[in-house]
Amino acid sequence: MDLEQLRKTAAEVVARDDVKYLIGWKKGSYGSRVAPAFVEDAASVIELIFSPSCTANLATYLTLVEKTPLPRGQETDKRKVALMAKGCDSRAVVQLLVEKGIHREDVIVIGCPCPGMIDQSLLAGKYGDTEERSEVRWNGKDFTLVRGGDEIEIPRNDVLAEKCRLCRHPNPVISDYLIGEAVKEWDPAEDSGVGELEAKDVDGRGDYWEGQFSRCVRCYSCRNVCPLCYCQDCILDRLNPTWINRAVNFSENTAFNISRAFHLAGRCIECGECERVCPANIPLGKINRKMAREVREKYGFEPGLDPDAEPFQASFKPDDPEDFIL
Amino acid sequence: MTEKPKIGVYVCHCGINISATVDVETVADYALKLPNVEVARTYSYMCSDPGQVLIKKDIKEHGLNRVIVASCSPRMHEPTFRKAIQEAGLNPYYLEMANIREQCSWVHQNIDEGTAKSKKLVAASVAKVRLLEALESKEVDAEPSALVIGAGIAGIQAALDIADAGFKVYLVEKTPSVGGRMAQLDKTFPTLDCSACILTPKMVDCASHPNIELLSYSEVEEIGGYIGNFEVKVRKKARYVDFDKCTGCGDCATECRVKDRFPSEFDQGMGKRSAIYLPFPQAVPAKYTIDPEDCLFLSKGKCGKAPKCAEACRPGAINFDQVDEIVEFKVGAVIVATGFDPFDASRKPEYGYSDYPNVITGMEMERLVSASGPTGGKLKIFTGEGEIEPKEVAFIKCVGSRDESVGNVYCSRVCCMYVAKQAHLLRDKLPDANIRVYYMDVRAFGKGFEEFYDRVRRENVRYIRGNPSEIFKRGDKLVVKVEDTLTATPLEDEVDLVVLGVGLEPRDDMRQTMELLRLSQSPDRFFLEAHPKLRPVDTATEGVFLAGCCQGPKDIPDTVAQAKGAASSAMIPLARGKVMISAQVATVDESTCRGCGFCVNICPYKAIELVTVNRYGHEIEVARVNEALCKGCGSCSAGCLSDSIQPKSFRDRQILPQIAALGVLK
Repeated sequence: MDLEQLRKTAAEVVARDDVKYLIGWKKGSYGSRVAPAFVEDAASVIELIFSPSCTANLATYLTLVEKTPLPRGQETDKRKVALMAKGCDSRAVVQLLVEKGIHREDVIVIGCPCPGMIDQSLLAGKYGDTEERSEVRWNGKDFTLVRGGDEIEIPRNDVLAEKCRLCRHPNPVISDYLIGEAVKEWDPAEDSGVGELEAKDVDGRGDYWEGQFSRCVRCYSCRNVCPLCYCQDCILDRLNPTWINRAVNFSENTAFNISRAFHLAGRCIECGECERVCPANIPLGKINRKMAREVREKYGFEPGLDPDAEPFQASFKPDDPEDFIL
Repeated sequence: MTEKPKIGVYVCHCGINISATVDVETVADYALKLPNVEVARTYSYMCSDPGQVLIKKDIKEHGLNRVIVASCSPRMHEPTFRKAIQEAGLNPYYLEMANIREQCSWVHQNIDEGTAKSKKLVAASVAKVRLLEALESKEVDAEPSALVIGAGIAGIQAALDIADAGFKVYLVEKTPSVGGRMAQLDKTFPTLDCSACILTPKMVDCASHPNIELLSYSEVEEIGGYIGNFEVKVRKKARYVDFDKCTGCGDCATECRVKDRFPSEFDQGMGKRSAIYLPFPQAVPAKYTIDPEDCLFLSKGKCGKAPKCAEACRPGAINFDQVDEIVEFKVGAVIVATGFDPFDASRKPEYGYSDYPNVITGMEMERLVSASGPTGGKLKIFTGEGEIEPKEVAFIKCVGSRDESVGNVYCSRVCCMYVAKQAHLLRDKLPDANIRVYYMDVRAFGKGFEEFYDRVRRENVRYIRGNPSEIFKRGDKLVVKVEDTLTATPLEDEVDLVVLGVGLEPRDDMRQTMELLRLSQSPDRFFLEAHPKLRPVDTATEGVFLAGCCQGPKDIPDTVAQAKGAASSAMIPLARGKVMISAQVATVDESTCRGCGFCVNICPYKAIELVTVNRYGHEIEVARVNEALCKGCGSCSAGCLSDSIQPKSFRDRQILPQIAALGVLK
């Protein structure tokens, strides 16, 4: 990654009058972790980084911004927002465009071709988690962990995030600026997580998810981090009618998680954020990837690739399969 | 709602339709114990006048403000009871119907089960009715004009009726001439009127009628809007002939460099036409048209030194620079009269239609026996060997009808009679020929049909009951292999001519029309009417009506009758000048709508659009429903991720308590 080009482009973009800020990554407060950066002026671009630690999907901040009531006479801020986007992040942008969550003229996409990100928990598990500032770098084939003067070679597959192992679109599918060269796509690994689930019978799958969903604490982190969960007022929060009771128990937890999976069918772009932030380590990616697989195989549709596509949930073809309808 | 609900429950016996499997008295007693129920009664026919009076009286005497009728499906009598409670001073939408007939008594045999289920259905209605809102229907102005799509006999008749009543009609026909399939027929069963003699005066009328604007060689591209206010866009295809200058003299076709080279559509490909042509001599309008694919100048850019038609045309009507023209107008109602396609006989390969020239279809037979046909009405048949006058003739019925192997289970309704008619015409022309008809059944159901069938049999036409399995060639004869199922005798009949009584199929461009008007198909793939018995010319789209074979196979009298029915239905909004807009429409909660537009995509009636609104100083997009277009189907609601769009009277908060009362929810 050409950091100089990134910062130069970012400076150029944020200096524009019609740009509000740029959302990117900066160093985090400990270990090799990173944090989101909201850069408003050219002087601050120096803090921007792009490293194997930039696993998070920042596209969620495009819709997360709250539109608080404006005092009378005050104009709404119509300036654009610039966003650093990896392949998966850019798919979220495309899906948001399809759903009119954002408009094309309101966003500037700084495309960041992505050689693969690390899973911080795998790294911590294998190499320890320290408060001391460290850094992970790409070294061509694998990763290098730079910590306290030491450079530790880490085999790629030891710490590669699952979403990256399965990734089919490492290069941004939409961008206004592309930083560096497009990366060579790799063969996505077999999705063994979904495969194992498919191999189970209905009871087996039920038992599996019962075990998982029983642990859900209904913190709603998965929903809040999801770039495509951006309803003004989530129906799962409503009291009249109460679709989901507030009690945290297996039944309500299941209703919550299954509802979310259904709402994401044909919309989830497999960025894996829900699973990454889950404090109970529920493998939410599996359920979303299973839905995505169904949509892909049955309907030949993959969300977040074509900004002019019709929304999957709101379109049909006369020859759509319907053999599963009772 | 501020006032306390006072509910009246009316349980209908429906003669014995309900009372045979539901103990209606027990249901009424049960209802009386439900919360807020003031009165519960039973009556033999609640929809009858005394039944309605019962309800109205209770509304006045008991001060009821909600009414539940436990009877049949709301489809038929919801409007009846809404009107009744409105007459008693209640908002018509304070009515709920519990369907204890179609969904209960008719599907149960055990009275205990039926009664228990009826109680639940009534309890569910009680749970919902208290939550209903008062709704107001609206009226909008209707455009006093109609669009008729298709100018066959159905479209012509419908257009003439509406025009005669004093309304403007736009009659759109895809081909260069009006007339449709009927114009191709020779004589019509069972009266043997000459088809042209009875049709051509109507064709001329519809071109000259001051209230009809005939758009021939045109196609409807877009229809927007709703009953009373349809916005129509029509493409007038380029004829490459100046419509006003052309006198129809035909010099151009005589001089055309590729004269008589192309199969004539009108003569079922048996006759030939030039690249510039009039489909048939009586065509209306009598204006020539250049087929751009056949014309040398238009397809290759060169026609000798100069196109000969242009040289021959004295008024100078040929115009190769003509382009398609778009015409836009508004109408209050639409009649779809797009007709049918004859079954493609090559889909029954065992009959050898594609292999043997002397296997022909019924439509081809019509042209062959017609005095204006390609042979001038002489029965000249080309076999592989040469031209003969047939001595042995076989008709095969039900080709492409009543045949699951080609996907057509339905009866085409005209083949029995047109085959009998053609057999009769052949008998006239070939007094000594052996004429056989292979049939599965003879369905001579119409006025004068059975008499005609008897007459044909007396004319020495042999009816053999059997469905031929194969036709093959032996020497210079065709062999029809069949079992006479009345005598269980296998036959191999040698014949000179086989006429396939092909059935009627939905047009292959059906889907285009469906998408244009959001119509549905019935299982036979023809257009679906709104109700098979009581609304046979209406469609689910209000203001759109069906006439003729696009709705299902029909003979000419039935087609004309349906066209007249469609015309009179279409004239209702035109004559009233106003249309009622249903109040049970979808409504958007703009405070939660996220403006994703899923509902816009989903809506089958194009009733929803995204509009920009101001939310606390911010410009945001939200969905908005055009109440005139919305049918309240609820598809939008099913697709909305934030439950921000809901049909009135069927909001989640209204139907969930109803479902809960059924014991489905906890």
